[in-house]
Amino acid sequence: MTDAVRAALQRLTRVKGVRGAMVVDAEAGVPVASELETGVQETALAALAGSLFRRTQDASTASGFGRVRSLQLESAGGHLFVAGAGALLVVALADPAAQLGLVRMEAGRAAGELNA
Amino acid sequence: MTASDLQRWSRDVAEDPGSPSFVPLARAYRRQGRRDAALSVVLRGLERNPEHVDAHALLALLHVDAGDRERAGDEWEMILRLDPRNFDARRGLGFLALERGDLANASTHLNAAAESRSGDPTVTQALEVLARRKKGGQGGAAPAAVAVAPLASPAPTPAVPAADDGRRDPTRLFDPLGREAPFLGALLLDGRGLVLAGSMTPAASGDGEALGALLSPAVDEAMRTVQLLGMGGWEGVMLECEGAALHLAPAGDGVLVLAARTGAPAGWVVRAASRARDLARGFLEETG
Repeated sequence: MTDAVRAALQRLTRVKGVRGAMVVDAEAGVPVASELETGVQETALAALAGSLFRRTQDASTASGFGRVRSLQLESAGGHLFVAGAGALLVVALADPAAQLGLVRMEAGRAAGELNA
Repeated sequence: MTASDLQRWSRDVAEDPGSPSFVPLARAYRRQGRRDAALSVVLRGLERNPEHVDAHALLALLHVDAGDRERAGDEWEMILRLDPRNFDARRGLGFLALERGDLANASTHLNAAAESRSGDPTVTQALEVLARRKKGGQGGAAPAAVAVAPLASPAPTPAVPAADDGRRDPTRLFDPLGREAPFLGALLLDGRGLVLAGSMTPAASGDGEALGALLSPAVDEAMRTVQLLGMGGWEGVMLECEGAALHLAPAGDGVLVLAARTGAPAGWVVRAASRARDLARGFLEETG
């Protein structure tokens, strides 16, 4: 894990309510690096987040809304953030009561740095 | 009927068009005023269940809705071959005969209907008209009061603003949100990606209807993701795209898509989506 990746993940996981964060290869949907709570399935999370991002990306581009910069999946049990602008996606899993503004900001910042 | 019923029936029929769910699904579509969808579901279901009496009865009503008495009559005749005492078929054929002035057949069918189900007000009324016509010796067309039209359900009344000519316009369902600057439009889509209500403003850079159709796989993926990650039911997806901020949320058996200007505050998008869901819920309740 490079220092830049490690630092980006650590910033994210320090945000209150974040259960874990990872960097995922956008094309393959496999984890590149992760900082996850015990019990979070790393491989499944990477695959699902990658697939969801690709599908929404395809739909948004094909219908003229352009590329997707970030995605936030809301559910009763928490939030899944995916941010990406290139080959790598930054994924964060957060509790329902997490500081969503901070999570969004850090995920977006990390994605920008990693894909610069 | 709840949204989850509709969702379950749609899923069953998607997996097997001959599933027992095809009749309640087609009935629900008819109540929503979606005749073509109801017709498609019931015809495919009948291909696999050609002796399904309730399906033939529903198909007869769909023909009545379209003003096609002849085909409705064919369906009721078919039902009588399967179930000679069927109330709906007897009543329908009795009304048709009365409309045509065929008093003998009207009497046969309406009396059979009354025996099958006593006290039905439409049959009672038709029998009274029949008795008056027999007494008066008239053989012409039946009065409007006993036309087949009462069999058809009333037209849906969507909870949407009225158009200029006073009729309700489902494309304006989300107009109340249009007073806020970031709002670019919203669309309510059914489970097949077809627009039920709403519209996008000309300022929206993309094609919302195409997005709805293209998003079905993404919505399926979102539902699968929350299930597999044990996150409970999915409540929505917010997308920041180059051309707009988009929010998708489940609504009935379909999806609600809201579009806002790029850079719209995320909190505003979530709140606007919540208000749009309330409007969509009211629309679905009134039309469903």
